[in-house]
Amino acid sequence: MCSRLTGMAMLMIFGLTGTQPARAEYGINFPPPAADVAQEIYDIHMLTMQISTFLLLVVFSIVIYSIYFHRKSRGYKADQHFHNTWFGNWSWVIVPALVLGVDLTIAHNADAVLKKIWDVPKGEKLMDVKVTGHQWWWEFDYLDHGIKVESRYIPKEQSGDLYLREVDNRLVLPTNTKIRFLHTSADVLHAFWVPELAFKKDAIPGYVTETWSELNREGVFRGQCAELCGTWHSRMPIVVESVSPEKFQAWVEKQQALKVAAAEEASADRTWSRNELISKGKELYNTKCGACHQANGMGLPPAFPPLNGSPLVSGPIEAHLDIVINGKPGTAMQAWSSLNDLEIASIVTYERNAWDNNTGDVVQPADVKKAR
Amino acid sequence: MNRQQDDLKRRNIRLALLFGGFALLVFATSFPFWQNIFKVLGSATR
Amino acid sequence: MSYTTTVNDPAHHDHTPTGWRRWLLSTNHKDIGTLYLLFALAMLFMGGASAMLIRAELFQPGIQLLDPDLYNNLVTNHALLMIFGAVMPAAAGLANWMIPLMIGAPDMALPRMNNLSFWILPAAGTMLILSFVVPFFPGGGTQINTGWTLYPPLSVQVGMSMDFLIFAIHLLGISSVLASINIIVTLLNMRAPGMTIMKMPIFCWTWLVTAFLLILVVPVLAGGVTMLLFDRHFGTSFFDAAGGGDPVLFQHLFWFFGHPEVYVLLLPSIGVLSHVIPTFARKPLFGYKSMVGAMIAVGTIGMVVWAHHQYTIGMSLGAVTYFMVGTIIISIPVGLMIFNFIATMWRGAMTFETPMLFAVAIILMFTFGGLSGVMLAVVPADMQYHDSMFVVAHFHYVLMPGAVFGLFAGVFYWLPKWTGHMYDERLAKIFFWINVIGFNLTFFPQHFLGLAGMPRRIIDYNVMFTEFNAISSIGAMIFGFSHLLFLYIIIKTIRGGEPATSRVWEGAKGLEWEVASPPPFHTWESPPKIGKEVA
Repeated sequence: MCSRLTGMAMLMIFGLTGTQPARAEYGINFPPPAADVAQEIYDIHMLTMQISTFLLLVVFSIVIYSIYFHRKSRGYKADQHFHNTWFGNWSWVIVPALVLGVDLTIAHNADAVLKKIWDVPKGEKLMDVKVTGHQWWWEFDYLDHGIKVESRYIPKEQSGDLYLREVDNRLVLPTNTKIRFLHTSADVLHAFWVPELAFKKDAIPGYVTETWSELNREGVFRGQCAELCGTWHSRMPIVVESVSPEKFQAWVEKQQALKVAAAEEASADRTWSRNELISKGKELYNTKCGACHQANGMGLPPAFPPLNGSPLVSGPIEAHLDIVINGKPGTAMQAWSSLNDLEIASIVTYERNAWDNNTGDVVQPADVKKAR
Repeated sequence: MNRQQDDLKRRNIRLALLFGGFALLVFATSFPFWQNIFKVLGSATR
Repeated sequence: MSYTTTVNDPAHHDHTPTGWRRWLLSTNHKDIGTLYLLFALAMLFMGGASAMLIRAELFQPGIQLLDPDLYNNLVTNHALLMIFGAVMPAAAGLANWMIPLMIGAPDMALPRMNNLSFWILPAAGTMLILSFVVPFFPGGGTQINTGWTLYPPLSVQVGMSMDFLIFAIHLLGISSVLASINIIVTLLNMRAPGMTIMKMPIFCWTWLVTAFLLILVVPVLAGGVTMLLFDRHFGTSFFDAAGGGDPVLFQHLFWFFGHPEVYVLLLPSIGVLSHVIPTFARKPLFGYKSMVGAMIAVGTIGMVVWAHHQYTIGMSLGAVTYFMVGTIIISIPVGLMIFNFIATMWRGAMTFETPMLFAVAIILMFTFGGLSGVMLAVVPADMQYHDSMFVVAHFHYVLMPGAVFGLFAGVFYWLPKWTGHMYDERLAKIFFWINVIGFNLTFFPQHFLGLAGMPRRIIDYNVMFTEFNAISSIGAMIFGFSHLLFLYIIIKTIRGGEPATSRVWEGAKGLEWEVASPPPFHTWESPPKIGKEVA
């Protein structure tokens, strides 16, 4: 409450009270925490902020008093011996001692919080979620449930006011369950940040970093990637949907069923028609490849080459498959080997027939299997 | 007077070289640079 | 202070070189100081222009003016131009001008090396600007979209402009190490007889500590970017996890340089304040010895707390606790410095000319930035603040007052000494008020943005962040354009104005005020004698 008041006072300084926006909530402090761990962090934030505000007021008052009273224009004579008084001789001990007291107060409280939140609880059953950062989307693997969610931003036309705060597939998590997040990256550094969960962790290629949380209320919590990861760093929202364990179970079963269906479709030993592959491929291309190579195939050169009229795309199928499956080291082009044969086949078929690329080629899942 | 200035010049240069050498030392040792160079060379010849 | 001045031999003054030779071949500390300051001024405007483009883009949500890569390129460029182009050369310019005058030395210890360390800078600056410009030419590769931290693996993806940047960093590093060596040698060997090290003016002390820090940390950055270069071109994998390397190693090397760098930017300005405040409070600096002790402590502790920039990389509990406590402890010496400044003002007879106005603004705003720094040092809370706009607000509150305003104060304080003319006090005060209000309008709202969840270095944001970003951008325009007034005041002062006395300010004390304004080309050719009394 107090902070709200201070915040409002600060707003008034900027003369903003008359222009309350109608379109979206804006915050001046952290959003209300959604986990006990986050609550601890929120409390230590408020404590240090209050101490800082108090010290700031002390310094401001002394300085303002001094510049008002100790000025030549008021006829004040400088006290040439102030630095030789007992205070002048001992202030180098007194001041550090006082500051040390404040420091220890802060450090002591912070240390207590740190011990509670930093390490993942041992000897308990936690639900594992692997969070993988990609340029520029998130992959969430529910290691205990064998499901995977790919989470990408939604263009402005579809997300409206939630633009850059909404994704196509949310990270659905159960409440009252201890969850361990395992962070890693497929390419460059990213960082997972949802303010309501109150922690941030870097996703580093080759590393697995851990955090944990236990959500204590249902709701939708929105965050963003917090470590500069290249061109579309701004387009990596994270949306956590916190639901009751029962609802979560139902969601998991649905996802598992979908996964089984997709696997069956992909492994079905059949030959796909060109049109089937192209229509599947178009959808996949637009979600997975469109961010860089663009829906119109023109790319964003020089970082992201166009695929429309590209010699690679109209050249031999093997080379095309190779770059899709293995990526191109040293560039933003990642290896897409985690896609199934059908998905790769339809993307490649689409690319070879879309826009001005009229190769007429059809790539079947079986061809992809051979190329792997 | 002149001797004094020459002496000062010498002392200046000596001290500067000392610090320059120190900077180079920091450059060369504060990271496992050479170690990795040797690793690369080793794997290239093999 | 009591000393006897010897009248300089006028016969020496007639061989002042003229034309381009005077500047290109200069070994005169005053001319080189001027060159440094002019270079810094040019870079200040370039860095400022890139910052204003960034803020113009962020005025409204959506992508209006720039594309994301250009935006990130500007973010990178702004930081590097300001740190390496503007603040460090400006501080070196002040050092070149003032240190020999303050310690009664005829020139810097190694005048030819002084010339070299300046003339590397234009080349380095060109490289830096090329790294920004090259991608706009055909075949120029991608833009530098990594921010000034240059973290791999992202920096390995960038095109050839990254190589220009690495080369520029090497040149800048060589320049500042050479300048540091020169300053240390000058301060240790060239002091006037009788000026013991504990009688040295505080500005000289701050530069002594700064120069030591630079020699210790700049080679480490050079090593880091060299490894980056090798990773990019020669198949090494220092930072590539797939090849057995470690991406986090670069972060450690970078911040081992990067954190002391903050004090490199800060300390010279603290030195300026230690002269400005006593002058305008008309009483001696409070706590000379504790000031010296505090800055040595800041330098020492500042070397061993770098990883507080990387709390989110997944360090062990023990490591983060150490870095947290170490970082919080820095508030002790810094708090002592601020206290000494306030105690110098306390019971003084103050007047508020422009340098003093900046000094008071620094005390207030730097305290603000320092306190938000303590908040950031707290690991659990930093889980939230890290890489958000809160951090951007924090470090601008530290570096803008702590470094840039200190340099402004120094320029206004010594400009009459350098040019022999008083600057236009009325215009300078107008500049001060526009500047300070613009600054606060720009960066204060960014605290709220960060707390509400806006990450830094994003080109586009959700509508919930619109209001504060709009205020911030308006402030940035006011702040940015106010520097044109600064430029005008300087040009006006150089061209003419009320003649300055050698003492310039009523309360000014120290050797630099014993020489004429402007000082003759050669000063202190025979050293002054320093009396018993401490400066």
